[in-house]
Amino acid sequence: METKGRTPAVSLAASVREVFGFFFFLGRRTGKTRVFVLLGGIPVVIAVLVRILAAGRADDLAAVFSEILMVFFVTFYIVILSLFYGTSIVAEELEGRTLPYLTSRPLSKAGIFLGKYAAYTSLMFLMVTASLALSYFIMNGHRLADAGLYLTFLKYAAVLGLGLLAYTAFFAFLGTFLKRAILLGLMFGFGWENVIQYFPGSTQKFSLVHYLKSLLPRQPAAGGKFSLLLFRLEPTGPVAAVVSLALIAVVFVALGCWVFRTKEYLFEE
Amino acid sequence: MSAVIEAKSLSKWYGNVLGLNDVSLEIESGITGLLGPNGAGKSTFMKLITGQMKPNIGSVAINGERVWNHFRLFARLGFCPEPDAFYEDISGWEFLTGLLRLQGFGRAEAAERAAMALTIVELTGDKDRKIRGYSRGMRQRVKFAQAIAHDPEVIILDEPFSGLDPLGKRRLIRLIKDYEGAGKTILVSSHVLPEIEAVTSRIVMIHQGKILAQGDIHMVRDLIESHPHMISVRSPQARALAAALVDDASVLKMTFGADGRSLVVETPNRDGVFGRLQSVIVAKGLEVEEITSPDDNLQAVFDYLVGK
Repeated sequence: METKGRTPAVSLAASVREVFGFFFFLGRRTGKTRVFVLLGGIPVVIAVLVRILAAGRADDLAAVFSEILMVFFVTFYIVILSLFYGTSIVAEELEGRTLPYLTSRPLSKAGIFLGKYAAYTSLMFLMVTASLALSYFIMNGHRLADAGLYLTFLKYAAVLGLGLLAYTAFFAFLGTFLKRAILLGLMFGFGWENVIQYFPGSTQKFSLVHYLKSLLPRQPAAGGKFSLLLFRLEPTGPVAAVVSLALIAVVFVALGCWVFRTKEYLFEE
Repeated sequence: MSAVIEAKSLSKWYGNVLGLNDVSLEIESGITGLLGPNGAGKSTFMKLITGQMKPNIGSVAINGERVWNHFRLFARLGFCPEPDAFYEDISGWEFLTGLLRLQGFGRAEAAERAAMALTIVELTGDKDRKIRGYSRGMRQRVKFAQAIAHDPEVIILDEPFSGLDPLGKRRLIRLIKDYEGAGKTILVSSHVLPEIEAVTSRIVMIHQGKILAQGDIHMVRDLIESHPHMISVRSPQARALAAALVDDASVLKMTFGADGRSLVVETPNRDGVFGRLQSVIVAKGLEVEEITSPDDNLQAVFDYLVGK
């Protein structure tokens, strides 16, 4: 047998980079990704329909788009994406029994966790941004020459990206130690996160969606045919909202790395 | 020769179930077979020495370095896990190059090593097919390929022959034996004696989480030979057959089944009694439906060793 020398050592940064590359590639191939890409087509279809139905009423379109963004992207699309990809960071390796392929490599466990987190968050961000861009520019097709349009788009994309980072970190953390993390995640993402918004005062701040909504443009609470879709938001300031979301992401990623590093995962026979 | 893998007082339990019980073992370079029936603790031992699990008591080291959470050590380790599990949506080529990148190799070298490993396991022609579409034998071979592609010093193969047809087994045995000459340390587990016998003469016998014996395979063979064997014969003339065998000194005991058509012969000389059976059947023109050797397996040897 031919011998080709010693394997190079892998640093944490290199671990993250290589794991990112592998799972970003792998993630694109899965059926799950295909389903979620299709799901991202919903706002695009809505945008086309609204554009046809609201022809000639350009001023309403920006308001309508904000509602779509609020309802679909913030409270549904990024939550469901983060839930399925975040919890799968560890769970898919356990269910598929593929974890030994990773943990028998010269990769730190923190590097594996961070690399998969980065890969899946990037993949989700691409899906969300593609859906957002299509729906946004279809709706605002009549004013493509307006530079402000692009700035607003970038802001929306950044807010959704921040939401993905925070939600995915939280769900990934749950997935490191819970067998049925997806159930608890569903209850959190579509139960707690929705219910808590109806509560007045600072109670809203115990949800992630509160900080995301605080960063988005708000339509007047009363009036307009879509006002029913709005909750009573008592917003946090933009800097505090960004810092809170970033902190949530960092804390839960760090906790996830710690659990993944210390916990011993046994496969069910 | 110094030990490459060293386990000291190693114990591991799963809740109330004892997986491994106070195992101390030194494994030197070359091929060592880990032999034991299903559930004996082979996989537990392999998971402990590859850092997949943490021992409850004791320690395990490779070349003097502790294993658990010592990921840099894994650069020198190749592990072929037992489960038939893969990232199914990628090709064999993508699987190997991807894992080699995780091993720390650059794109070009990963490709070169993947090509070499695929050549060794004779999968070059199928490298671009999705793993989902591979046969069981191909899956075992690509799993073996990922364990050797980075040219590790220590190769751990957990039940590598499981599910392979005879040709596939022979091919894999040849591959494993090729590595013996390259100065590697290889640990192969199996619950089938002839599989281990085909790759090495150095064995460790494990049963109920304990090391029962270790040494040369001939020792096991001797144990098998010294252990009384059962030979079961199904025949409508079972009593006539028994009458013809009763004067054979190597027959220790004979029992009849409740249906009167089966005869179980106990003997320390299995081959001798088989020969005698054939002569009697031919000479007396007896009708025989089936001849089997129900305890011609490791479980019988293990039961014998533990005094059951």
